[in-house]
Formats: sequence, C-alpha cells, structure tokens
Amino acid sequence: MKTYSVLPIRFNINGEEVHLEVGAGETALHVIRERLSLKGTKEGCGMGECGACTIVVDGKSVNACLMAAPQLDGRKVMTVEGLGSVENLHPLQEALLDHHGVQCGFCTPGLLMSAQALIQKTPRPTHQQVVESISGNLCRCTGYQQIVTAIEDGAKKGGGET
Amino acid sequence: MIDPTYARPETLDDALLFLKRHGADTCLLAGGTDVMVDLRSGKLKIPYLMDISRLPELQGIALWEEGLSIGAGVTISEIYASPLVREHAPSMLKACAFFGSPQIRNVATIGGNVGNASPSADTVPSLLVHETKAVLAGSSGERTVAVENLFDGPYQSGIRPDELILRFILAPARGRFSDFQKIGRRKALAISRMSMAILAERAGDETFRFIRLGLGSATPTPMRMKAVESFLAGKRPDRKTLEEGALLMAEEMVHVTGRRPSTVYKEKAVQGLFLRMLEPLAEN
Repeated sequence: MKTYSVLPIRFNINGEEVHLEVGAGETALHVIRERLSLKGTKEGCGMGECGACTIVVDGKSVNACLMAAPQLDGRKVMTVEGLGSVENLHPLQEALLDHHGVQCGFCTPGLLMSAQALIQKTPRPTHQQVVESISGNLCRCTGYQQIVTAIEDGAKKGGGET
Repeated sequence: MIDPTYARPETLDDALLFLKRHGADTCLLAGGTDVMVDLRSGKLKIPYLMDISRLPELQGIALWEEGLSIGAGVTISEIYASPLVREHAPSMLKACAFFGSPQIRNVATIGGNVGNASPSADTVPSLLVHETKAVLAGSSGERTVAVENLFDGPYQSGIRPDELILRFILAPARGRFSDFQKIGRRKALAISRMSMAILAERAGDETFRFIRLGLGSATPTPMRMKAVESFLAGKRPDRKTLEEGALLMAEEMVHVTGRRPSTVYKEKAVQGLFLRMLEPLAEN
C-alpha cells in the first residue's frame, strides 16, 4: 500500500472543486482557514468541545478541528461562506439578526452549520430537534433562547427549502 | 509537530498487511475524535496513521443467528438511527443518544470508542450487559474476544498491534428490561462521571431470571458487577432487596478501586444511579 507524507486530495467546498496537497496530521480546519482563507469557520477549543469550527460534510455536521485533512478527499463540504452572502443572506442568517441571536458572533458560523445540517434533513424541525441539533455548539453570550427561536423561524421562512 | 505518514487501505487485506509490517508504529484513524485531540496535544507521537474510516468490511448493522452484529466502523449516529438496535439493544441506543455531541456522533465509531479503552467509554457498559464478543482480525486470522476481557487497564486494550476490530456481536435482548444512564456535569459533551447499563429478564412471578449490570467510569475499566447480579437473581425487586443491592454495588466498586478521594461521592452516586434505574421495577 502506498503511504503519503503529503497527500493529494480533491473535494468540493461551497460548490467549488479544490485540489490540494495535505499532511496526515493537518486538520480540515487548518485547510479551510489557512490554505483556503475561509475565515468564517472559527477555531475555539481545537478539541471538539465548543462547535465553533462546525462544517457540513456530505450533509452531516462535523467538527473541522477533529477531521484529518486527508479525510476531506472526495467529500462535499459546506462552510458558512457557502450559506449566504452579505447581499443575499440565508433565511437562517436573517432570522438570527431578527431575533438578536448574535452577540459577539464567534459561535455564529458553527451554529449556522449545525442548523443547516438539521434543516437540510428536517425542513420543519420541532423545538426539541432544534435544541438537540445545536447541543454541540457553545455560546457564552446569548443564553441560547434567541438562537433556538431564530432557527425555528429561519426554517419556517424557507431556510429548510433550499 | 511532525506529521505522521498517512495510509488509506482500500481493502481489509491491505490494512492487515500494513499492520503486519508497521502495526507497532501505527495508530488507527476512524472518526478522529480521540486521535486528532491527542495528535494536537503532542500526547500521540506515531510514525503512521492508517485511515480505516472507509473500509467496507467494518460497516453495517445486521441481525445474524449468532447475534446482533455492529461493524466497528459504524458511527454513533448510525447506531442511534438503527431500528435493529432500537429493538434488540435499547440500552445501546440510549448510550448513543447522549454520546458527546451531534458533531462527534456523526463521525465517532463504536470500534474507536472500544479500542481507545477509556474507562468512561459510553458504549461499553451496554456492550457488557449484552455479553458482546469483539471479532478481531489480524495477520494470522480472526479471533473472538469477549468485550469483558478486552481491556488490560485504562486506555490499554488487549488488541494486538497487528490487529483491528472488525465487528461486535451482541446477544440480542428484545422485550427485556433495558436501560442506560450516565451522570455528567451537563447533558452534552460531558465525560461521564459514572455510567450504567442494565439488562434484566423476569420470570412470571416477577423474580429476576437474570440481571446484568455494566458499570462505566467508576473502575479502571468498565466492568460487570457480577456479585450484585447473583445477589439479585431469583429475587423480587422489592425495596429492601434493591437497597441491599445498591449497597453491594458500592461495596463491589470500592473493592475494585480501593478508597480514593472520589470514593465519598462515587459510593453514594453508584447507589443513587442503581436505584433510579431500577425504580420502574420496584415493588413496595
């Protein structure tokens, strides 16, 4: 079997095909932030506790800090940059603004990715499903209520249909 | 940090061949939720990382004649979503419901949870009460080991360097009393302070035909509490019996661990957890 100290990989991120050479001990988070300069994905704890680095991989929410970069090979990845733009916010993003679900904002991209993974699968989630979907995302500002309300509202306003 | 060399076998044969040559210098990578943390902290220094997350031989959940088979590469989310597990191993379903966080459950595998051999591995108490066998593959063939005998100590499994876990075979237990609960500092992302799985079958007169108790996070490796099991067998779950069982639970635990600073808390907690879990069966 071939082994690699540097491994060529290709994957799709936010609709674009990317070819890169990555190290085995490099994290997906490092690739996204430092190699692709997508700074929306945050590094909080770096050990899977806080959820600030949450991305969506093949429809599932994962911690980018715990994913080895070679494991990106062949995957379809979404970061917060793929959700909406400044001119054209995603309904989940609109709802977070409407319901004051953002204070310092550091946890927001990760929360959006957890919410996006949820509503892709369950376009009309129950309150309990929303709470569970973000149970791996820490927010030290809001107290969560506004975030939960915002995700419920964002899903209703068509976030779950895209 | 020096990057380890990466290997991704396409087949099980390739993986075993690699382990035969480099097993002692290789760390297996599946979900990465333990490995990547240890790589980052520098605790794990290893020449090779072998990524087994895409090996088809480690996938799938199926009900066979010999039992309920769960592939070592099956994720915690997949176990939680499995109708077969819901029906035949409900305590495992519950262990997976409260495992880590959604992000962790989406990638973490049952093989990794067992192979890492943490005293607080959440899937292990349930595996113990289902008298689970681990099927290991190595360069000289397959062997089967009871999960109960798989651990040598905290973070030390008896899996040899040239081996990997293929699957787990659980004794199915449809329609029996089955539960898993854990005590943690909070609901999500909390390392268990204590966890317990119970599987019990009762006879027509309400006495326990058998009861199996798996205790996690309390002893150096998760373990069956067999003295308590045999004390309860053949008895009815009246309050006096359950309270005696709870005391015995604490005695057995302290017998294994000795008195440690945490014992003051844990000997109360183990009784509380035991009584709370058996409350649905308690007779007055």
